[in-house]
Amino acid sequence: MDTVPSTLQRGGHDDPHDHIHPAPEGFIRKYVFSLDHKVIGIQYFVTGILLMVIAGAFAELVRIQLMDPAGTFMSRNAYNMMYTMHGTVMVWLVLIPLVTGALGNFVMPLQIGARDVAFPWLNMFSFWLIPVSAAVMFSTFLFGAPTAGWTEYPPISLEQGTAGALWCVAIMLVGVSSTLTGMNFVVTITKMRAPGMTWTRMPLFTWATFATALINMVATAALTIALAALFLEDVFNVPFFDAARGGSPVLFQHMFWFYSHPAVYIFILPAFGVVSEIIPTFARKPIFGYKMIAFSSLAIAILGFAVWAHHMFPAGLAPWLQIPFMILTYAIGIPTGIKIFSWLATLWGGRIQFSTPMLYMLAFLMTFTFGGVTGIFLASVPTNFHEHGSYFVVGHFHYVVGGGAVLGFLAAVAYWYPKATGRMLSEKLGKTTFWLFMIGLTGTFLPMHWIGLEGMPRRYASYEFIAKLYPDTVFWNRFETVFSFFMVAAVLVFAVNLIVSYRTGRIAGNNPWGARTLEWTISSPPPYYNFKKIPTVLARPYDFAEPLPYRNLDDEKIDLYPAPTAASLQPAAVGG
Amino acid sequence: MSATTLDPGQSATSHAAVAARFADVDAVYATTRDLRLLGFVLFLVSDCVFFSSFIFSYLYLRTAAPVWPPLVDGKQLPYLDVTFAAVNSVVLFGSGVTMHYALESWKKLKKGAFNGWMVATIVLGIMFLLGQAHEYSGALQIMSWTGSSFGATFYTLTGMHGFHVFIGVIYLSVLLVQANRGVYTGSKYFGLTAGTLYWHFVDVIWVALFFMFYLW
Repeated sequence: MDTVPSTLQRGGHDDPHDHIHPAPEGFIRKYVFSLDHKVIGIQYFVTGILLMVIAGAFAELVRIQLMDPAGTFMSRNAYNMMYTMHGTVMVWLVLIPLVTGALGNFVMPLQIGARDVAFPWLNMFSFWLIPVSAAVMFSTFLFGAPTAGWTEYPPISLEQGTAGALWCVAIMLVGVSSTLTGMNFVVTITKMRAPGMTWTRMPLFTWATFATALINMVATAALTIALAALFLEDVFNVPFFDAARGGSPVLFQHMFWFYSHPAVYIFILPAFGVVSEIIPTFARKPIFGYKMIAFSSLAIAILGFAVWAHHMFPAGLAPWLQIPFMILTYAIGIPTGIKIFSWLATLWGGRIQFSTPMLYMLAFLMTFTFGGVTGIFLASVPTNFHEHGSYFVVGHFHYVVGGGAVLGFLAAVAYWYPKATGRMLSEKLGKTTFWLFMIGLTGTFLPMHWIGLEGMPRRYASYEFIAKLYPDTVFWNRFETVFSFFMVAAVLVFAVNLIVSYRTGRIAGNNPWGARTLEWTISSPPPYYNFKKIPTVLARPYDFAEPLPYRNLDDEKIDLYPAPTAASLQPAAVGG
Repeated sequence: MSATTLDPGQSATSHAAVAARFADVDAVYATTRDLRLLGFVLFLVSDCVFFSSFIFSYLYLRTAAPVWPPLVDGKQLPYLDVTFAAVNSVVLFGSGVTMHYALESWKKLKKGAFNGWMVATIVLGIMFLLGQAHEYSGALQIMSWTGSSFGATFYTLTGMHGFHVFIGVIYLSVLLVQANRGVYTGSKYFGLTAGTLYWHFVDVIWVALFFMFYLW
């Protein structure tokens, strides 16, 4: 382990970006209660992966139950617990920690040339709320576990007693953690970028992290209050949602979806950022439409707050409210489409290298677009009434989350693993993971769309009535269950790859992919203080024809960018 | 021309005096203060979202109700007493004024005035809390927390606000002790700025609550 040069100790240096705490000594400070954003990122990663295995096991139990239309594998109540815990753990304890906690923490400060996030102690605190929340969440099994689905609509969720109250506490802890992380990242990105890194020179993953952090800050705070209200009603009988005493169960749906719709952008925006980094790197071409991609992330973040009621069309929403929400939801397709077409234009004419991260990204373009298109069907009021509460919704959601956020996450791991560990992942195992995952994803979630349209309802423990009308639902449910095990195999191969490559992988070097953002200019794994000298940024990182656009790099061999001359700083002459 | 341009209206002496006062503000402190200031403002933004969510639930339940105040057991609840609450509001807004002068005195290095204004702010905060307790004892005769949507939103929101005032009173007391122990200087006083921001935030939230529950 490198030691921090004495000039970099706190207060011993005049650089305003100098913001480091001394290197920790001892196991506890280094690996458990670490203040280093890289270690915290890896802690989020390990926690998230372990919880993903548990939540995935819940999903497999749900799939096994559905092999038989009579649903005899588990009791009804156990089945309800399984899908509730699958959704809850995946959404709050797997996806949010993985995409914002792990990726954002590890990559973002390196990309902006900072030595850490703005508030390292707060960052550590945010992380440790996650294991505490997971412990509270799993403790609900002692009290019969929540059974009302991950959305926990009252009045059903109010009949769960202690389990429901503990569920609220666990999710409020995640909410606080996520809000604090969002604040931390907004301050870091606003205030701690390397000199010369203007807003429009920021790497696109950092842009995506910024937009995500804004959502984290506002939306998870709203979620915390929605669940506080549910908790108050559950424990103290305060009638927010009890219609008999003037409350309204629909109010909970408003409060819940005001958070939970932006939450899907918390999952997907970091994945968009990952795509914007990986596609130019492996197409060896500058990103097409940098500003449009950056601003469309912000547009999605802002518009995402104005569409929540499209989850509630059949809940008795007034027609004059349904139409604006439908149109605003369609409008989200515009910034998303801008991104998709910009990525396609980046690929066009590029020299594409089919490495593992790039495979994920090419698949992402297809699966995410497919998930987005089915989203338009769901946003449209007339079709929504038919599809609401059916497997069509389950298929749509898993296509955008599995085929969007998770693919982006897997690509990010394949891409940044060498930076985090100093060794390459095995390409052979990586491509095996990719194909197993894609076969599993398609086989499991694609048929859900058409059996959903036939009327297969979500969350039902048995479906004999629908099997009588449409016998093919039985075949397709069995088909989905079989294919879902391909994803289990993919996760196993992925885990083996992570562990085996840590010992035996090829030594990565500073920049195995020939990428151009700042994190690739320093050693792998990065030293404790990240950058010995804070680099100066002179241009966007994506112009593959030019030398790296930085000065004052630690590695002088790659510090080749021509110094700006008086002439180059003059504004270009316009017209004749 | 030197790098620092003097303000035409400002004499060189006073500029030098200001420069001397801030001589101990090094780059590291200035950066840290900037980060904390933005971080604290963002904390207040998310706290504002906390209040807004409950305010939304009040607006939703109130506009969805057939009559307001709502019926409990077939009888309509009365409106809340506005007079006492108005007096109590003046107490809280007054504490915002005294807080402002406390920070200004600190900036002008008048420590005695600072202590006076801070004590006044803390006392006014405690008076507001006592008034709130009195308000509750009267209101609880009329409606309970669990009896109606009015009670639910009223006690939850004003209780959450009262909790913020309570935390604020403790917070300002700590700042007062810290200031007298020499934690802050004439140039390094971010903690006092944060306390002032927090206290004004709690004031502004009360404006919304007072309007919603008493004047509407």
